Amino acid sequence: MDMPQVERDKERELIARAQAGDRAAFGALVREHGNEVYTLARRLVGDPHLAADVAQETLIRAWKALPNFRGDAAISTWLHRITVNTAWTQRKRARRHSGLPLDDYIEVAAPMGADHPEMAGEILELRGRLRQALDALPEAQRQVVVLKDVYDWSHAEIAEAMGISVSAAKVRLHRARARLARHLEASA
Amino acid sequence: MNLICEMAAPFVANSAVEGSQVARPFRAHAEACLKCQARHAAMARTARELAAMSNETLVAPLDLEWRVMSALEGDLALARSWRTPIAVTAAVLSMTAAVLIWRLRPRTQG
Repeated sequence: MDMPQVERDKERELIARAQAGDRAAFGALVREHGNEVYTLARRLVGDPHLAADVAQETLIRAWKALPNFRGDAAISTWLHRITVNTAWTQRKRARRHSGLPLDDYIEVAAPMGADHPEMAGEILELRGRLRQALDALPEAQRQVVVLKDVYDWSHAEIAEAMGISVSAAKVRLHRARARLARHLEASA
Repeated sequence: MNLICEMAAPFVANSAVEGSQVARPFRAHAEACLKCQARHAAMARTARELAAMSNETLVAPLDLEWRVMSALEGDLALARSWRTPIAVTAAVLSMTAAVLIWRLRPRTQG
């Protein structure tokens, strides 16, 4: 999303100060991007408590990695990448502890409730069903759909973030969309 | 249930999201089949809703900032708690070394 020049300059200054170890500046970045990080985490992992953990760990990792942030990409893009990696790590950890197969784990995640009660009628109904259908996808499939169809990442970016080949990312996306369509059709 | 519709379904879903044509083996069927066309329309709408979700931001738990900053504070405190004894030990060791060198220095006769 485009940001006015003044805000960009302010953000650059905050980043520079945080890179120099100023925790108050980093706190301001957390306030600025915390919701965005949490939103992506929630979409990736489904469960709100797990999403809060992912967001927390993402921001801690970001603080540690901040000296290496060169500003080639927007900080939000950089944070998105860390969020995806963190969600992936949490997923593996959860899988180890639950003993469930990888693709089954998030099938048991709590469905996301209606976060926007102000939205009414048909769109709200479709979005509610869409969230439930997304939550019902195995996590690996949900992640590719969220990253591609919500955040418009390229296949190559998804492949890199998830540690898979580009063709594997395409296949996973193809299957995920098909499954999503089936879920939506069944819930209509 | 029409078997061809079910086989075509993943390709119909993908073409709706991508805005591309249905893959060739199922194209002719999808163009002629009302069920597949309805599925295509439904998935195209879903794709628009998915894209619209990028503009929605959920509200993070109110204590997120506190949790992050507390964790960082904890890390720093741990680093500090290690730094002080290490610095003191290093200082004592270098003083001991200096004293030993001075005491063991070769003395000139007379």
